[in-house]
Amino acid sequence: MITRYFIRNFSSITPLCHQFIIRQLSSSDHNLSTVEYEKIANETLESLTDAFETVLEKHKLPSDVFYSDGVLTVELNKYGTYVINKQTPNKQIWLSSPFSGPKRYDFINETWIYKHDGKSLYGLLNKEFSNIFKNDKNIDFEICSYGKNSQ
Amino acid sequence: MAAYNLSNRVYSKIRPLISASMDARYMLTRNYHEKVIDHYENPRNVGSFDKSDANIGTGLVGAPACGDVMKLQIKVDENGKIVDAKFKTFGCGSAIASSSLATEWIKGKSVNEANSIKNQDIAKELCLPPVKLHCSMLAEDAIKAAIIDYNTKKNKEQKSN
Repeated sequence: MITRYFIRNFSSITPLCHQFIIRQLSSSDHNLSTVEYEKIANETLESLTDAFETVLEKHKLPSDVFYSDGVLTVELNKYGTYVINKQTPNKQIWLSSPFSGPKRYDFINETWIYKHDGKSLYGLLNKEFSNIFKNDKNIDFEICSYGKNSQ
Repeated sequence: MAAYNLSNRVYSKIRPLISASMDARYMLTRNYHEKVIDHYENPRNVGSFDKSDANIGTGLVGAPACGDVMKLQIKVDENGKIVDAKFKTFGCGSAIASSSLATEWIKGKSVNEANSIKNQDIAKELCLPPVKLHCSMLAEDAIKAAIIDYNTKKNKEQKSN
């Protein structure tokens, strides 16, 4: 049903891009239904919100964590702003990092992976936050939902 | 009447909350930078080339389902220099501005130079807010896709010769 919707939508807008349609269809994960995606993505973003709040509280960094309508905004004062949001049409989570720029994550092998480099969302956040709080060796976003150490 | 009083009382209780959230929303509303508006209102190099031409590379990126599709084409001369570029973008103001700027930048550059343009450069030039960085990434992807298409064509041509 969704596949059919995609095909109809794609071909009506740009009939010349059939190659692109094939690429798009083969790349998206068909095992994941929209309902499942919604559940997983919501859980992920909610647990990320908690994780950000915990870390920032712990280090008393003046900041603002704001989650609403599938968009998580984390303002880190002088460091810039993270935006992590649901991208429902292609079942991805999009990240915009003040340090490393934009990335699109797919749900692969039970976690969020950036296909270009095969690295996970939580891995990237661990790296970048360990860089902000250099003295904290315990930063671990893998405890969030669908991370390696999730509870 | 009692119901009216009750609703009035409830409203006066929650009103501060409502206005607070409206303030927050107001603060979150960002205006586009003037450079974005300039490119949006006067997009440079809109149009298309014949994509079957051997000197043309076509990059098509994005997903209509997400509301962003970008087509960027380059015309390359025999020295590997991009002599002209055209784009067509369906999408938000930032996506249109990013692709418009991209065509402006790659004109006159060699294919290799164009390939090294980064999304950060585009985002910085247009002062894009964090949530719109993805649009500059789309423009980078479009340039790369166009170059790949051009190179594929050239390789095929060499093989057939």
